[in-house]
Amino acid sequence: MSSQSISRSLSRRRFLKNAGGTLFGASLLPKFVAGVLAPSEIVRAQATDPPPNLYFAGTDGWIHLPPSPPIEFYFPDDLAPGTDRGYPAGLNTYIFGFRNITGLDDTQKANQKMRAQHNAPLFWVDQFNGSNEFRLQLTNLGLQQRPDLTDSHTLHWHGFRNVITFFDGEPTGSLSVPIGRNFTYVYRPRDPGTYMYHCHVEDVEHVHMGMTGPVFVRALQNFTGATGAPIARLGGNTTAGVPMGYAYNDGRALSDPASTAYDREFAIFLSEVWAEAHWCDSHIQLPDWSDYKADFSLLNGRVYPDTLAPNGSVDPFNPARDGNGDLIAPAGRPELQYQPLSALVTCNAGERVLLRFANLGFREASMTLAGIKMRVVGRDATPMIGRDGTDNSYETNTILIGAGESFDCIFTAPSFSGGSGSSGQGYDSYVLHNRRLTQVSNLSGGGLAGQRTEVRVYQSVVDAQQYPNDWGI
Amino acid sequence: MRKSSLKRIRLGKVLLVAGGLVLIGQLAGIPSAVAQTQPAIGIACTNSVSPNPTFNLDAKSGYIVLGDGNTMFMWSYSLGEQSFQYPGPVLCVNQGDTVNVILNNTLAEDVSIMFPGQENVLANGAPAQPQFNGGGALTSLTNAAPPGGSMTYSFVASKPGTYLYQSGTSPEKQVRMGLAGVLIVRPTQGANFVYNQADGRYRFTPEEEFLVFLSEIDPSQHQAAEQNAPFDLTTYHVHYWLINGRTFPDTVADNFASRLPSQPYGALARVHPYDATNHPYPGLARYVNVGFEEIAFHPHGNNGVVIGRDGNPLEGPAGQDLTFEKFAINIGPGQTWDVLVKWYDAENYSPSNPVPVTIPDVANQTIGMWWSGSPYLGVQGPLPPGVTTQNQCGEYYIISHNHALFQLDAWGMTMAGQITYMRVDPPLPNSCP
Repeated sequence: MSSQSISRSLSRRRFLKNAGGTLFGASLLPKFVAGVLAPSEIVRAQATDPPPNLYFAGTDGWIHLPPSPPIEFYFPDDLAPGTDRGYPAGLNTYIFGFRNITGLDDTQKANQKMRAQHNAPLFWVDQFNGSNEFRLQLTNLGLQQRPDLTDSHTLHWHGFRNVITFFDGEPTGSLSVPIGRNFTYVYRPRDPGTYMYHCHVEDVEHVHMGMTGPVFVRALQNFTGATGAPIARLGGNTTAGVPMGYAYNDGRALSDPASTAYDREFAIFLSEVWAEAHWCDSHIQLPDWSDYKADFSLLNGRVYPDTLAPNGSVDPFNPARDGNGDLIAPAGRPELQYQPLSALVTCNAGERVLLRFANLGFREASMTLAGIKMRVVGRDATPMIGRDGTDNSYETNTILIGAGESFDCIFTAPSFSGGSGSSGQGYDSYVLHNRRLTQVSNLSGGGLAGQRTEVRVYQSVVDAQQYPNDWGI
Repeated sequence: MRKSSLKRIRLGKVLLVAGGLVLIGQLAGIPSAVAQTQPAIGIACTNSVSPNPTFNLDAKSGYIVLGDGNTMFMWSYSLGEQSFQYPGPVLCVNQGDTVNVILNNTLAEDVSIMFPGQENVLANGAPAQPQFNGGGALTSLTNAAPPGGSMTYSFVASKPGTYLYQSGTSPEKQVRMGLAGVLIVRPTQGANFVYNQADGRYRFTPEEEFLVFLSEIDPSQHQAAEQNAPFDLTTYHVHYWLINGRTFPDTVADNFASRLPSQPYGALARVHPYDATNHPYPGLARYVNVGFEEIAFHPHGNNGVVIGRDGNPLEGPAGQDLTFEKFAINIGPGQTWDVLVKWYDAENYSPSNPVPVTIPDVANQTIGMWWSGSPYLGVQGPLPPGVTTQNQCGEYYIISHNHALFQLDAWGMTMAGQITYMRVDPPLPNSCP
């Protein structure tokens, strides 16, 4: 049910379902009503508003998943665009998603319709210090593959405490953004940690179709330090040996085992694809969501071994784009143009590595890092510290992460085994995957797919990260 | 095809049944008396007399209505001599009470009640025990009442907390059919505490006590039970997910809403913002998962403080505070979680302290049915032309829902599953009805 169904009109979907009318007859009504009630956009000068820190757009698009074996009827999608329409070869799954359009001109912006990415752009925000509010502007480019579908979009920051409805993005109690319009969310995040965000309009559909991504809040301690914990590199400290950052305002010395200091950080974002639902959306059909299953289980918008492929443009504040404003594909992988976030973890021996897990799939996942213990230092953007200061952090190889849950885990990279490493490639490799092994198969058998990636430990060649998930090599 | 044959509208039948029950209720003067003593929003306790509370529960069948318009044949525990209700009554007792529950079985097969978390339960005066047939095979997890018969269970409610009660007989059928309910044991420290702790860390605001009772339905299993036909458990496939026995939007209707005659429990939470002076204590959500899968429940806008699970406060041997905040309540089958919730007006945005952004013109908004027209708590503002709102006094509606989002579905109807809202009213005094 879109918010329109309650406010402006009966939604197209519910109309379809209730009336059982023809597609065309049903789809005419809301377009007509929307047209009457929402004439062409009144461009507000907004001269008094500071510019946004980021500008995102909601639209549709296509991604690549392993095409073999096919799923009868539904996958690969026969409507996927190809090189004749200016898309890379190999796209096969219809999505809804977000794109970062910060800094694009109007033509470039319009060009991004049906060029969404999955997962949605990673971004991060500094904890509110009294003056640094964060502004995220959202627009809605519409759905090119579904011109009949006039859904609005929102950005719901999942887990943001004490939010007012105006900035929550849940459409029933709030506003959402019609096609061609804009809305700016202003955040004063007071609680560091790992969060996620998604569109909340028609939420089962828009979330499952891919309008989901990770977002972090950087702790104030990065900029202020604490006793025994110097200001971090993120806070501008260039002294050798200081950590890149702190996951939380832990107030602990670096030597404390429960310190949340880290040298590198990686978003590990879980989502799923039910091929039938994606096919239904591209073919103007409606799935019965109560029949849901996950055909593909994704890390950072990809399935293994694509999870190991290089990053595209990841840093939202320094985006690299082509002249049309489009994403630049990861090196050597044109079909991953709209899946820019690598899930490969790279580090040097002895470094502390923060894995920021967030799950916006619909199934619980059991993420196992074979051979290296992780310390769980946070869950749901809450440090593992009791209200009376009791340390509740713990070590494990496996986290059980439910739908809508997040985990912050820090591991210390083991020493390098020497020579060319256990991989023969100059590094030791450790597998990070979903121990719910049905979700590392993609129906392809052999277990070589799905939610699986690697942690690669090098002796010392990995450079400092420029942004999260940066390989440094 | 299976769907269409099952979805035949049984509305006429249910209306007939409901009408008859209302009539009987009026004659006996029973349900109205219960409704009048209960709050419209929040936990509606069924109380008895401490220290020896006695509850008569009838295992019986009835119908409920679901979000896609379907009606569903159910079994449940209902208060003796009263109309069918699902889920069973919320039994509220005090720590130390000797609780007696008399089960009268009107169904055509053995039914029992087990009380997970309670110790030394007696059945007809003897220790309640699993039942076995002559060959040593388990037939029931506890002593059962035969069709037309009864069984009296009693126990001392020794530990405060939130508990489930449920059938121990063919639970894979009977619990799914609805034979389950909630038992709340209030601590000796007082009814405004969840657990005992001298430092008062478990205190809550009694007017803000809410139940989140999560259950699920495979319509094929219910159809089989109604027709007394066999059901292949390996084909179990849930199509409905419920809170407090209802699907959205019925979840936000008041307790005992007259249009839901057999689903008495609403799930709307109604709170006021935290205030150090006037509203210093949090509300309490008692989560119970009676379903068969883990549920990842997500309340927007606040991280609940998880203070107890399965009737046990989260504290160390020396009283260390092991509670934790969560925005995902991952509750397993048969578990209960006690979660303190509060909403804090962090920014105090108001017309005199406006949001730091230009509000889009109404022509450029899509609005929801509860939108007030204003970002500010307690303020109503302009709406797009031709649009009405359910907002009453500028209150906020903040959603709480299962984040396995396909479980917001009612057999193909979206936004008709495990969804409810927290309504944040402006601070008192306010103009809210």
